[in-house]
Amino acid sequence: MMKYYGRIWLLCLLLTGISFGVLAQRVITGKVTSVADGSPLPGVSVLVKGTTNGTSADAEGQYRLSIPTSGTVTLAFSFIGLEPQEITVGTNRSVVNVEMAESATELNQVVVTGYNQTQRKDVIGSIASIKSDVYKDVPVVGVDQALQGRAAGVQVSQSSGTPGGGISIRIRGNTSISASNSPLFIVDGVPVQVGAVSGRDFGGQRDNTLAIINPNDIESLEVLKDASAKAIYGSRGANGVVIITTKRGRNNKTTITADVQRGVTQIIKRPQLLNSSQLVELQREAITNAGQDPDKQGIIAGVTDGVDTDWVDAVLRQGILQQYQISAAGGNDRTRFYLSGSVRDEEGVQLNNRFTRYSGALNLDHKATSKLSFGANINMAISKNNRVKGDNFLDGVYSGAIKSLPFYAPFNEQGQLYGPNSIGYAGFPNFNPVAQAVLPRFVTHGLKMIVGVNADYEIIKNLRFRTKFSMDYNNAEEDQYESSGTAIGGFLQGVGGKGYGVYITSTSYTLINSNVLTYYLSLNENHHFNVLLGNEIIHSQGRSSDVTGRLFPSDDFTYINSAGIVDAGGSFFGQNGLLSFFGEVKYDYKDRYLLGFTSRYDGSSRFGQNRRFGLFPSASAGWRISQEKFMENARFISDLKLRGSFGFTGNERIGNFQYLGTWASATYNGATGVGPNNLSNPNLQWERTREANVGFDASFWNGRFSVTADAYSNLTDNLLFAEPIPLTTGFGSIQGNIGQISNRGVELTLSSVNVDREVRWSTDLNLTHNVNNVAMLANQDTLFRGYSGNGVGGTNAVLQGQPLGTFWGLKFMGVDPATGDAIYEDVNGDGRISPEDGQVIGNAQPKLFGGFTNSVSYKGFDLSVFFQFMYGNKILNFTNTSLLNTGSDIQDNQSIAALRRWQQEGDVTDIPRYVLGNTYNSFHSSRFLEDGSYLRLKNISLGYNLPARWVTRAKMGSVRVFASATNLWTLTAYSGPDPEVSTLDGSTTAQGIDFFTLPQVKTIMGGVTVKF
Amino acid sequence: MNSSLFFNRSTLLRLLSVTLAFMATLSSCREILEPPPVDLLVDELVLNEASDVEAVRLGLYNAFRGIGAPLVIAGSFTADFIQHNGTFTVYNELGNKQITATNAAAERYWGSIYSTIYIANFIEERIATVPGVTEATKKQVLAEARFLRGFVNFLGAHTFGGIPRVTTTTIATNRNIPRATREDILNSVLADYNAALPDLPNTNANKTLAKTFATKNAVRAALARYYLYQKDWVQAEKLASEIIATGLQTMPTDIATVFFQEVDDETIFEVAYANNSSDDPGTSTFSLNDVLRGRREVIPANTFILTMLEPNAGERRQTISFDPTRQRGRDNGWSVVKYGSPDEANNNITIFRLAEQYLIRAEARAQQGRIVGTNGAQADINVLRQRAKAPNASLTTQADALLTIEKERVYELSFEGHRWYDLKRTNRIQTVMAAFSPNWNEKFTLWPIPQSEIQRNDALKGSQNPGY
Repeated sequence: MMKYYGRIWLLCLLLTGISFGVLAQRVITGKVTSVADGSPLPGVSVLVKGTTNGTSADAEGQYRLSIPTSGTVTLAFSFIGLEPQEITVGTNRSVVNVEMAESATELNQVVVTGYNQTQRKDVIGSIASIKSDVYKDVPVVGVDQALQGRAAGVQVSQSSGTPGGGISIRIRGNTSISASNSPLFIVDGVPVQVGAVSGRDFGGQRDNTLAIINPNDIESLEVLKDASAKAIYGSRGANGVVIITTKRGRNNKTTITADVQRGVTQIIKRPQLLNSSQLVELQREAITNAGQDPDKQGIIAGVTDGVDTDWVDAVLRQGILQQYQISAAGGNDRTRFYLSGSVRDEEGVQLNNRFTRYSGALNLDHKATSKLSFGANINMAISKNNRVKGDNFLDGVYSGAIKSLPFYAPFNEQGQLYGPNSIGYAGFPNFNPVAQAVLPRFVTHGLKMIVGVNADYEIIKNLRFRTKFSMDYNNAEEDQYESSGTAIGGFLQGVGGKGYGVYITSTSYTLINSNVLTYYLSLNENHHFNVLLGNEIIHSQGRSSDVTGRLFPSDDFTYINSAGIVDAGGSFFGQNGLLSFFGEVKYDYKDRYLLGFTSRYDGSSRFGQNRRFGLFPSASAGWRISQEKFMENARFISDLKLRGSFGFTGNERIGNFQYLGTWASATYNGATGVGPNNLSNPNLQWERTREANVGFDASFWNGRFSVTADAYSNLTDNLLFAEPIPLTTGFGSIQGNIGQISNRGVELTLSSVNVDREVRWSTDLNLTHNVNNVAMLANQDTLFRGYSGNGVGGTNAVLQGQPLGTFWGLKFMGVDPATGDAIYEDVNGDGRISPEDGQVIGNAQPKLFGGFTNSVSYKGFDLSVFFQFMYGNKILNFTNTSLLNTGSDIQDNQSIAALRRWQQEGDVTDIPRYVLGNTYNSFHSSRFLEDGSYLRLKNISLGYNLPARWVTRAKMGSVRVFASATNLWTLTAYSGPDPEVSTLDGSTTAQGIDFFTLPQVKTIMGGVTVKF
Repeated sequence: MNSSLFFNRSTLLRLLSVTLAFMATLSSCREILEPPPVDLLVDELVLNEASDVEAVRLGLYNAFRGIGAPLVIAGSFTADFIQHNGTFTVYNELGNKQITATNAAAERYWGSIYSTIYIANFIEERIATVPGVTEATKKQVLAEARFLRGFVNFLGAHTFGGIPRVTTTTIATNRNIPRATREDILNSVLADYNAALPDLPNTNANKTLAKTFATKNAVRAALARYYLYQKDWVQAEKLASEIIATGLQTMPTDIATVFFQEVDDETIFEVAYANNSSDDPGTSTFSLNDVLRGRREVIPANTFILTMLEPNAGERRQTISFDPTRQRGRDNGWSVVKYGSPDEANNNITIFRLAEQYLIRAEARAQQGRIVGTNGAQADINVLRQRAKAPNASLTTQADALLTIEKERVYELSFEGHRWYDLKRTNRIQTVMAAFSPNWNEKFTLWPIPQSEIQRNDALKGSQNPGY
C-alpha cells in the first residue's frame, strides 16, 4: 500500500517537473541592497506573486530566478524587519536590482517571541515591545528600571533611592504568596538570575543582579504577557517573561559610538522633623502626662536642647553620576559584530554609598556556509557597590538619621566622631548615623557573565536546527568590616566589641542547553505554517561560604586574618534542574486568519516524585480584519486585528527540597545532632496559572494613531504555600499547594503622532487596571505577614477574598477630644481593644497605573516628557510608628506632625496625646495608612542633534547633546518623603511599606553622543 | 523549485544526528531532576540505625534548650524586676505590663514546649526498634526524653494553664487538639518524671556532660519543684534533702563562680551553648546576653536595684552592675549581668542548681512549722547567706520566715526564671504586682495562648486565657 502511494507521489513530482520543463523559461537576476548604506542584504525572499516560485538572495545579496517567458510578473521581495516591496517586471527586463529599507511601520517590526521571532502583524499573543531608544536619555541603572511606566500591564516599583538597589516588577499582578513573583528574564536566549545574589539585606534593601547588565547594550525588550506568548516557557512563565535582545552588528560599515553622561543626584524630598526645642517641649509633656517629673529625667528646656543637629542633613549629600560608553558595530555579509565597553559610577546621596559598574559586551555572528552559521554573545560586568545600612536597622544611616535625637552632635569638640560608648552621646538605641555611614566597609563585589554560543544549520530548505549552549554566572562577594566606632563593631560585646568582620562569597550559575528545530512551510501561498520543536536542559547551582571574625587588635586591621576570634563560618552547596520539551505550531491563512498552539512539558527537581512533570499548553487565534475584502473601503484603517488566547503557565520558583520530609543539623553544647526541619509532601507541585486573554491591535492613517487593548482573566491555583500549622505539631508550617489567586484586568496602549510636519509631536499612553484577589485559601485564618504590629497581629494579612498586599490593623476612629486618647473600632464589641479587633484597613494594590510620554522634535531638537503614575494604592507609613509614637518611648525624634497632637480637653486633632510608656495610643492602626497615589514627572529630556554640516566637517557621523532630569516633580498626598518605596524589597504580601526607607533621588544630567 | 516534502538519505542522516542530540540530553535526566540534598537528612533515614541515636538525642536537647530564655523571660520579666529600655514590642509589652496574645515570647515559649515534645515522642515511638543499640542506651535515652517532656509540660501548665497534651508525632492529631486540664498535664508530668528517674545515671565522669545532660538529681530537682508548686511540703523537703545528700553538687564559696561561670560545681542541670562558635544565640531576639547587656532591651527596675543593694543580698548584688555612662533620662544605668557573651564562657542557662534546693527545703520546712534548729528553715537560709557573705538571718514566726524566703529567692535566683511563678504559687502576686505597676491586671497570672495557635488550631478556638 505504502509503496503504491509512494509511486503516485513520485509520479506527481515528475509531472510537476515536466510541466515546468514544458513551459518556456527566462531568468531574472539582481542584487538586493540596503537603502541606508548600499550594503548587500542576504536572505531576502524573492517570490513570483501568485505562485510558489521563489528563491532567496545569497550572501552577496544576489538572486537568480527562472520565470515564464510570456507576460509580466510581479516579484515580491520580503525579509523580516524590512519593508516588503513588489516590483512588476515586464517581458523585456532581466535584471531587477532592489533597495530595501528597514520597516518604518510597527507592523513589520521584528518581535522576539522566545525561541523564535516573528513580525508584529503576525503576533497573536499579548506582547509589549520596548525599544532601547525610549530610555536613552534616562540614567537607568538596570533594565528593570527602564521598564517603568513603559508598558501596559507591567508594574515597576523601585524599592528605594539606593543606587543598584532592588526593584520589583510585576506583570499582570501578583500570582503567588510564597514563590517568586518576579518575571522570567531571558537575555539573548539565556534565562538569567534576577534579584539578590548576596544574602545580606541591610535592613530591607538588597542587591540586584539586573543592575549589573548595562541597559545601553540592549536593543529591545519584549514583555510576554499572555498564555500564548508565555506557554513556551511552561513552569517558569506564570509571572510573565521579559525577553531582552542585546545589540548586534549589522551588515554595513563599522559605526563607533561614544557616549558620555554626567549629572548630579539629590534626594527628592526630606522628612520634616522637630528641632531640639520642639522635641524637648514634647518630651516634657509626655513625661508629665505619665505622672513623672521631666526634670528628674534630665529633659530640661535650655539644657537638653543646647545642641540642635539636623541629622538628615548630616548624612546626606549631593551625589555625582557619570557614565561613559564606547561601542562599535558593523560587519559584512559573513561576519557581524557588536562590541562595547562602559563605566558607570553613581554616588549615592547617603555618605559613603556608591555604585560602580564596568561592563563589556561582544556579540558575533558568522555565516560559515549558506547553511551553517554560528553566533556568540558575551556580556560581562563587574560591579562594586559600597553599601550602607538602612531601613529596619537601628544602626542604619538614613534610617538612623531620621530617628536620632537632635540633642546630640556627630562630632565632639576635637572633631572626632562620637562612638557608641562615648560619654556625651545618646546610648542604645541611638547610634551616631554619621559614624555609621563613614566608618564601616560594606562592599559588595558583583560579577555577572552571560555567555552563549549557538550554531544554526539549515538541514533542508526551511528546516533549521539551532543548538545553543549558554551560561549565566553570578558571583557576589561581601567584604565587610565594622570598626569599633560602630554599633556592631563597638557596642555589642556579644557580637563585635572590638571590630567585626564578615566575608561572604556567593556564586550561582545556570547552564543551559537548548535544541530547537524550526520548519517553515507555505502551501500555495495562502497557507503558512511555522513549526517549532525543541528541548532544553537547565541546571543551576548555588554555592556560598562565609566567615566572621571578631576582636581585632585595632581599627587599622580590617580583614579577618587579624581577627582574634574567628568563630562563625559556613559553606553551602545547592542545585536544581529543569528538563523540558516544547513545541509550537503557527498557522495563518492569507495572513488573515491566524492560529497558534504552544506547549511545554517540564520536569523540575523542586517537586515531589508524584508530581514531577507537568504540561503547559496554550492555544490562540487572531483575525486580521483589515485584510478582509470588505475592509478595503475603510482606508483609514491600516491594520485591525482581533486576538484571543487561552492556556496554562506555571511557577516552580520555590526553594529546593521543599517536598522532602527532612531533618537538619542541630547543635548542643558544641556537639551536633539532628533536629526536625521540614514535613514531607510528596504531592508538592508547581503553581499553575490558567490564563485567558482577548485583545485587539488597531492602527489608523498609516500608523499615525494606534491602539492596543487587552482584557485578561488569570487564575493561579495550586498555590505554593507554607501553610502555617499549630506549633503543637512540633512544626510551624507544611509546604502545600493550597489556594487560588486571581488577576483580572484591562490594559490599554495608545500611541499617536499628533503633528507630523517640521514639528513632530507624538504621544504614548499606557494604562493598566488590575484586580488581584486571593480567591481561595485552604487556611481560613488570617495569615500575618510583614512586620508584627503593636497590639495587633501583623501589618499585613493574607485573607481569602482580599488582594495580596492587604494591610491589617486596628481601625483608627480619631482622637477623643475629651481625653486625647486614640479611639479604635471595637470590632467584636467586647468593650475593649485586643488583637481580635484587627481588621483589613486597605491594600497596596493600585487601581490604575501607567505612563504617559510626549515627544516633540523640531529640526535638530527633540524633547521628551515622561510621566508615570499610580492611583488608588495605599502605603503604610510605618516610619510614623516611630516618628509619631505618642510617647511610647522618648528615644526617637518626632515628625513635625506631632506639633498638632492633642494637648488639652477640646482639642480636635488626629494625633493622640503623648504619654511616656503608653503603647495604647501607638497601637498599629489605620492612623499609619495613607493614600499612596502619585503622579511623577519621571523624566524630561531635551536633545539636540548638531547640524550635519558641522559634524561632517569634524569628520564625525553625528553628534547629539542632551540634558535630562529624572524624578523632578511628584504630585502626591502622601505625607512621607516618597510614595514609591518599599522597605521589604521584593515582598509581595508586604509591599508598599515605608519604614525609614531612602526616598528616590532626582537626577539632573547632561550628555553627548558622538557617532563616527 | 519549491520546498520539497521529501527527505533524501543524507537529510535523514542529518535528522538522525539531531535526534541523537536530543536523546543525549535525556541521559542526564536523573542527575538534573534528582540532585541529592547535601545538608539534610530525609525522614525515613532518621533513627533507623544505631549511630542515629546520639544525633537524635542531641536534637532533643537542642529543642529543649529553646525553652531556657523564654523561661527566664516569663519568670523575671512578667514580674517586678524590670523596666523596658529598648525598641522591641515583645519587651515593651512585658515591661509595661501590657502583654497581648501576639507577644513573641509567648509564642517562643509555646513553640519550644512542643518542639521538645515532638522529638521526645519520636524517640518514644521509635527507639525500641532501632537495631544494634544496647538496652541500657535505649532506656537512658527514653528516660531523658520523658524527663524533658515532663519538665516542659510542667512549665507549660504553670505558664499557660491547661495546655494541649501531645502524646504522638502524628501531625493530623496534633493539628487539632484541645486544651487538657491543668491536672491532666501535671499528672502526666509526674508519670514522666517517675518513669525517667530509675533509668538515668547518677552522674557522668565528664563534668560538663554531667551537668548539661539529665541525671537522677536533675529529675529529683524537677520533682522537688513540682511538689513545692503543689504545696506538698513533705515530698518537696524529702527530694531537696536527697539531692543535697548525694553530695554530687557542692556550693562554691564565691557566688561569682555561680553567676559568671558555666558548669560550676553547683549546677544540677543547665542547657548548653558552645562558646566562641556560631552555636551561641548571638543577637537573636531571645538572646539573654543581648537583651540584658547588649541592646539592654530591659534593665532592672529601680525597686529591684534597691532590693539587690540591701545588706542581706550580700555579694549577690553582682547580679546587676552599674555603668554611669549609660545613665541618662529614664535609663538608670544598671544592667543585669548574669548572662555573659560567648567570650566570657557564660552563655549557658541554668535550669536547676543546688541553692534552689536549700530554698525549697527551707520553704517546705517553714510551711511545716520548722523555723529554727538543724532541720529548720533558718539553717538552710543561712547556708546561702554565708556563701553570699551577708548577715545571718534570724527567723521568728512562720510568716516572717516565708517572707524572708521569698526575698532570699530574689537575692539568689533573680533572672533565673522563678519570680513570677513564686508569686503565683504563694498567692502574693496581686499584692506585689499591683504595687509595682499601675497597668497590672489579674489576667497576667497566666500568659496568653499565642494568638497564632488559636487561629491555626480549631480545637483551641474560644479557649484563650481569660482577659486576653
